[in-house]
Amino acid sequence: MSKRITIDPITRLEGHGKIEIFLDEEGNATNAYFQIPELRGFEQFCIGRPVEELPRITTRLCGV
Amino acid sequence: MAKLKLGVYWAATCGGCDVSILDTHERVLEIVEAADIHFWPCATDFKVKDVEAMDDGFLDVTLFNGAIRNSENEHMARLLRRKTKVMVAYGSCSAFGGIPSLANFTTREAILKKAYETTDSTVNPEGVRPQTSTEVEEGNLTLPRFYDHVYKLSDIVPVEYIIPGCPPPSDLLMTAVEAIVSGNLPPPGSTIAGKKTLCDECPLEKSDHPKISTFKRRFEVIPDGKTCFLEQGLVCMGPATRSGCGNACINANMPCRGCFGPAEGVKDQGAKMLSALASIVEFDDEDQARDLLAELADPAGTFYRFGASDGLLSPKYKQGSEEEAKAEGAKVS
Amino acid sequence: MYEPKIICFYCKWCTYTGADLAGTSRMKYVPNGVVIKAMCSSRVDPQHILDAFSKGADGVLIGGCHPGDCHYVTGNQLTYKRIEMLKRILPEFGVDPKRLRLEWISAAEGRKLVNVMNEFTDDLKELGPARQAVAEEV
Repeated sequence: MSKRITIDPITRLEGHGKIEIFLDEEGNATNAYFQIPELRGFEQFCIGRPVEELPRITTRLCGV
Repeated sequence: MAKLKLGVYWAATCGGCDVSILDTHERVLEIVEAADIHFWPCATDFKVKDVEAMDDGFLDVTLFNGAIRNSENEHMARLLRRKTKVMVAYGSCSAFGGIPSLANFTTREAILKKAYETTDSTVNPEGVRPQTSTEVEEGNLTLPRFYDHVYKLSDIVPVEYIIPGCPPPSDLLMTAVEAIVSGNLPPPGSTIAGKKTLCDECPLEKSDHPKISTFKRRFEVIPDGKTCFLEQGLVCMGPATRSGCGNACINANMPCRGCFGPAEGVKDQGAKMLSALASIVEFDDEDQARDLLAELADPAGTFYRFGASDGLLSPKYKQGSEEEAKAEGAKVS
Repeated sequence: MYEPKIICFYCKWCTYTGADLAGTSRMKYVPNGVVIKAMCSSRVDPQHILDAFSKGADGVLIGGCHPGDCHYVTGNQLTYKRIEMLKRILPEFGVDPKRLRLEWISAAEGRKLVNVMNEFTDDLKELGPARQAVAEEV
């Protein structure tokens, strides 16, 4: 019976991620998909902000 | 006393709030002594299905950080609310919307177009965008729906406590942990921080009747390190921001940008700040006032830097509306 | 049939008295305003204005004393500065700044009040109902 294994969420790193692994009848992995279910839009919402404020905004891309 | 069952989760986040728990340094051992962690994607391997398997109210406390940006964030907020006795909006993003809430000043379409199509480093001639549902050879893959607006946690579920900050300072977290462990919590709905404004705790010198006649941008002047920023013409959110942060920014000679949210009893931090500025701006006539105020760079992005989901005019979440969109089979995310 | 709803904050000393004058003089004008009396136009917190818009007001009118005539000397100056800044904030939240009006109307200017209200109502009819920033746009 072919199978699907879902790893949700991926852990012990920064960020959101989901992995779907598909197995064939013998239990061998035939394909895997890695998805990133997050987007915040810094590329767009930084536009219009004073440039000297960006160091305190873009640092919130990643707190690690 | 039985150990507390703790959950920590992140929605639209940078990970800084998760790191702030570790920033308690050796005091993290006090947290670990008092609590067992049952869900914390940043640091442990529990999965969403582990949370789904919990009884309702199983978790004593969940520290939920990150703003509500997409359907997965909303789903997890509701799931964890069901499984948790005390839900804490931890950090400015879940409390007020945070930096991601600046997206409320642009549109979903503009963000998707920029991120997936028009940024300089993107090569995407076919304009492929993430889809909420994609058929592949083996089956169907799903992604959350990117919402029209950004919300704060309390827009989605009731929240017992707010711990503000970007990130919350470690000693504030420890104060909250001590309160939880000792059972000495303030009434539900409270914000665990100061009750006044930053000005109250700011070490800079303030004159009795400050007056500014010009606005300066932070690169135009080097603050003298002794006088109130506002009196030097630099916008500082101190008058409209809750106290309790320890003045990290002020001590680094940078004006406050309001990450602790509005002071006690205030509904709209941005409105309060604009009022405060109006009080100290000096002008001779209306034309001069208009010109002076026009010098102020990016008022909305400055007054609502961390709280564009928390203003009186911020987008109002309508129960089910975003989920309904998903159910209607919105193919384009 | 859309009828603009206008929340009016009038200062007691000037504009509110002017409104009374319009009334006692039997001047006819649109009924679209809901009047709230304040001791001074500067008593109006920007939060009151934002609250009005968030609750469905199509327009907000602040009426105060002419510059130099404020009963509390500098109150109307404060109002002016606040409204100037608020007008820059409103469009970021999807509210057309033309929906917020500040007028200096004295106790003797009943006629001016009538004209302002009629004109403002017409402008708001053209602008249409204020869109509420609720979750929408599927």
